Amino acid sequence: MEFSRLRKISAIAGVASLALAAAGCSGGGDKAASADNPVTLTVTTFGTFGYDDLYAEYEKQNPGVTIEATNIDRGSNARTDAFTKLAAGSGLSDVTAIEEGWLGSIMEVSDQFVDLKEHGAEDIKANWVDWKFKQGTDPDGRVIGYGTDIGPQALCFNGKLFEAAGLPSDREKVAELFGGKDATWDTYFKLGRQYKEATGKAWYDQSGFVWNSMVNQMDEGYYTKDGKLNVEGNKDMRAKFDMLAAGTAGGLSSNQTQFDWGNGKAFVDGSFATHVCPAWMLGTIKGQLESAGGGAASGWDVADVFPGGASNWGGAFLSVPKSSKHPAEAAKLAAWLTAPEQQIKQSAAANNFPSTLEAQAKIVEAAKPNELFNNAPYGAIFESRAEGVIAQFKGPHDSVIQENVFGPALKMLDSGKATADEAWNEAVKLLNDLVVNN
Amino acid sequence: MTTTLNRPAVSRPAASKPKPTFRQRLNVFDMKASPYLYIAPFFILFALVGLFPLGYTFFVSLFDWHLLKGQGEFVGFQNFAEVLQDRFFWNSLFNTVSIFLISTIPQLIMATIIAAVLDQNLRAKTFWRMSILLPYVVTPVAVAMIFTNMFGEQYGLINNILSSFGIDPIMWKNDTLPSHIAIATMVNWRWTGYNALILLAAMQSVPRDIYESAAIDGAGSFRRFFSITLPSIRPTMVFVIVTATIGGLQIFTEPRLFDPVAAGGTARQFQTTVLYLWEMAFQRQNFGKASTIAWLLFLIILLFGIVNWLISRRIATNGDDRGAASRRRRKRSSAPDANAYDAGLPAQAVTAPAASAPAASAPETAPEQTPRSGK
Repeated sequence: MEFSRLRKISAIAGVASLALAAAGCSGGGDKAASADNPVTLTVTTFGTFGYDDLYAEYEKQNPGVTIEATNIDRGSNARTDAFTKLAAGSGLSDVTAIEEGWLGSIMEVSDQFVDLKEHGAEDIKANWVDWKFKQGTDPDGRVIGYGTDIGPQALCFNGKLFEAAGLPSDREKVAELFGGKDATWDTYFKLGRQYKEATGKAWYDQSGFVWNSMVNQMDEGYYTKDGKLNVEGNKDMRAKFDMLAAGTAGGLSSNQTQFDWGNGKAFVDGSFATHVCPAWMLGTIKGQLESAGGGAASGWDVADVFPGGASNWGGAFLSVPKSSKHPAEAAKLAAWLTAPEQQIKQSAAANNFPSTLEAQAKIVEAAKPNELFNNAPYGAIFESRAEGVIAQFKGPHDSVIQENVFGPALKMLDSGKATADEAWNEAVKLLNDLVVNN
Repeated sequence: MTTTLNRPAVSRPAASKPKPTFRQRLNVFDMKASPYLYIAPFFILFALVGLFPLGYTFFVSLFDWHLLKGQGEFVGFQNFAEVLQDRFFWNSLFNTVSIFLISTIPQLIMATIIAAVLDQNLRAKTFWRMSILLPYVVTPVAVAMIFTNMFGEQYGLINNILSSFGIDPIMWKNDTLPSHIAIATMVNWRWTGYNALILLAAMQSVPRDIYESAAIDGAGSFRRFFSITLPSIRPTMVFVIVTATIGGLQIFTEPRLFDPVAAGGTARQFQTTVLYLWEMAFQRQNFGKASTIAWLLFLIILLFGIVNWLISRRIATNGDDRGAASRRRRKRSSAPDANAYDAGLPAQAVTAPAASAPAASAPETAPEQTPRSGK
C-alpha cells in the first residue's frame, strides 16, 4: 500500500524512473546504487555537524550515490521542519538528523521511521555507548536512530578575563577552583559574584543554557521515568531555579540572545567569562568566534569540571523516515556516517564528542589539542566528563518545555522584569497553557 | 450563410413554434454559457485553493487533531470555546491590530506625500519611480534579516547610534511597543513605495487644467493638494486602504524572522495572530486549534471588510455631494480619460487576495463611480 501510493505520487510528480519503480516493488530491499543505477540521497542536519567532507568521501567510495545536504541553523528549527514534513507526509530527507531534546516527540510516531534492525543495526549495536543506543530504540524495540555524538558537559571559561579578575587561568587550576570532582552550583555562583565584584561584568551569557544544564543533570528532568510531567511542585527543581534566579538578579547574566550572541561579538568583547559547554558547543562557539573575527587570542579555554557533576545535554541521531524512496541506501549511509571511523572525522570537523566507544578511545589516544581553546586536550576532557552520565528520560514535550515554557520565564529574569517567584509562576502557567491543556 | 437561407424553409411549416437547428442551439448555448466558461478557470481554481481549504479547515477545527498523529475525537465547538478564552489569542489580536495601525497609517500618509512629490515635474522621472519601488522587489526574508540585525538590542546599528548620543538603548525585541515599531518599520519599508506608485497613477489621471484654473483663482500648492488632488484620488485611496488592511491583518514573515527562535518574542510581545496560528500548528502540534484560529481570523477579516465597505461607501457618497461641481466640470472636459481611470479600478481589485471578502468592497465602490462619470 505504502509503496504503491508512493509510486503513484512520484509518477505524477514526473520523477518516476525505472529504478524508482523497481524500488517501489521490492519494498525495503531496493536495488543497491551503482554507476548504472544512480541514487540521490538527501540529508538534513542542524547546527554544526561537520559532515561536509564525509559526504564527498562517501560519494567517492560509492559511485552512483549523490548526496544533497541541507543544514538547518539550530535544533529547534530542525524540529519544526521535521514535524511539518511528517505532518505533510512527504518531504523528509532520506537521512534526517534528530536531536535528543525532541526525540521523545518523534518516538510517539516512531512507526513513521524505518526500523534500522532490518538494515543491520543489531550487528553494529556494540559500537555505541550503551545508553545512546537505547535512546534510539522505541518502546517496541525498533531501532529508529543511530547515535552521532553525545553532549557531556565541561566548563568553558575565558582565561584572559579570569586573569584580569585575579582568578587562575590555567585549566587545571580552574578545575580545582570550581571544586574538581565535587564542583557544585553553589561554588559556581559564589565565584560568579566574586568575578562580578572585581570586574563589574557578567559571569554567564544568559540563564537559559545554565538552566538546561541544571535540569539535564537531574535524575528525572521535566518528566519522571514513567513519563509523567515533573515540574509543578518539584522542590528540587524549584531550588535550582531560585539559585539561578538569585545569580541572575545579582547581574551574573549578560542577557544575550541564545545562538545569536550578537553574531558572536559577545564572545570577543568580554561580555561574560564562563559558558556551559556540552561537547558540541565548542563547534558552535568556534562558528561564533569566526563570524565575529575572533580566534585563539580571544582567550577561551575548556576545563575538566562541571558544577553539580556529570551532565549530558543534547547529541543527535540519524534516522531514515519511511517516506524515503531508498531506505536501504539511506540506512547504509546513516550507518557509515555514525561508524567510529567517521565519528572521529566528524569530531575533528565539528568539535563534538563521538558516541561510539572506539571513536572516543581513539580521540583520547590521539590527544589532539584544540587550538581555538588554548590547545585544550578536548578528547581527554570530554571522555572524563562523560563518565557517570545517565541518559535522562525525555518526554514528548521536552523541547517545548525547554524552549517555550522555561525560555520566556528565564528571559524575564535576564531582563530583570520578574522575581524568581513571578518567573517560576509564569513557567508553570505556560506549562499548563502549552502542554497540559494543549 | 446557408443557415439563413435554409431557416425559413424549415421553420415555417413547423407552425408557430420554430424548431432551432443544432447550429442555432449551439449559438444560444454559446451566448448563454460562454461567459461562464470564460470566467470558469478563476472559479474552479478558487474552489480548489480557496473554498475547499476553507471548508476543510472548518472540518478540522471540530476535532482533536494532532499534527503528527492525525485526526482524533470529534469535539464540536470546544476548540472555538477554548481559543476564545485563550490569553495568547487575544494577545495576538492586540499585537496584530497594534502593528497594523502603527504600520498602515504612517505608511499611507508617507505614500501620499511621496506620490504628490513624484507627481511634480521632476527630472529623471522613471528613475525616481523605480527607486521607490525597489524595496518591494526585495524579498521580505532579506528585509527582515537586515532589519533584525539593525534593531539588535546589544549590537544593533540603531542602538549603537543612539548610545553615541548618550541615549539609553531601546529594547527593540523585548519591549512591546518598540518591537511593534520595529516590525512596522519593516512593513513600511516594503509597502510604502508600492502604495505610492498606485496613488501616483491615480494622481496622474487628474486633469491638469483643473490645477491650472485653481492656480489662476489663486489657490496655493497646499490648497490645490487638499482640495483637488485628495478628493480626486479617493476611490484609489479606498482600494489602497482595503488591501493594506487585509495585508496588515495577515502579517507573518516579519515578526517570524524578527525572533527566529520563539514564535513572536520570548513573551509573545510581537506575536501576531497568523504567527500564533503557526505556533499552534507546528510547535504545539494542535492542528484542531490552529484551524480554529484560522477560522476566527477569517471571520475577523470579514468583519473588518464589512466595516471598510460601509465606511468607503459613506465616503463615496459624501464625496459626491461635496466635489460634485468640480467633478462635473472635469467629466465634461475630459470624460474618456476619467472613464479609463475609473474602469481601471475593478481590474486592480482583482489583485487583492481572492478569498477575502473585503476585496469585494473595492469593486463595490467602482460601480458607484462609473455612473457618476457618465452623468
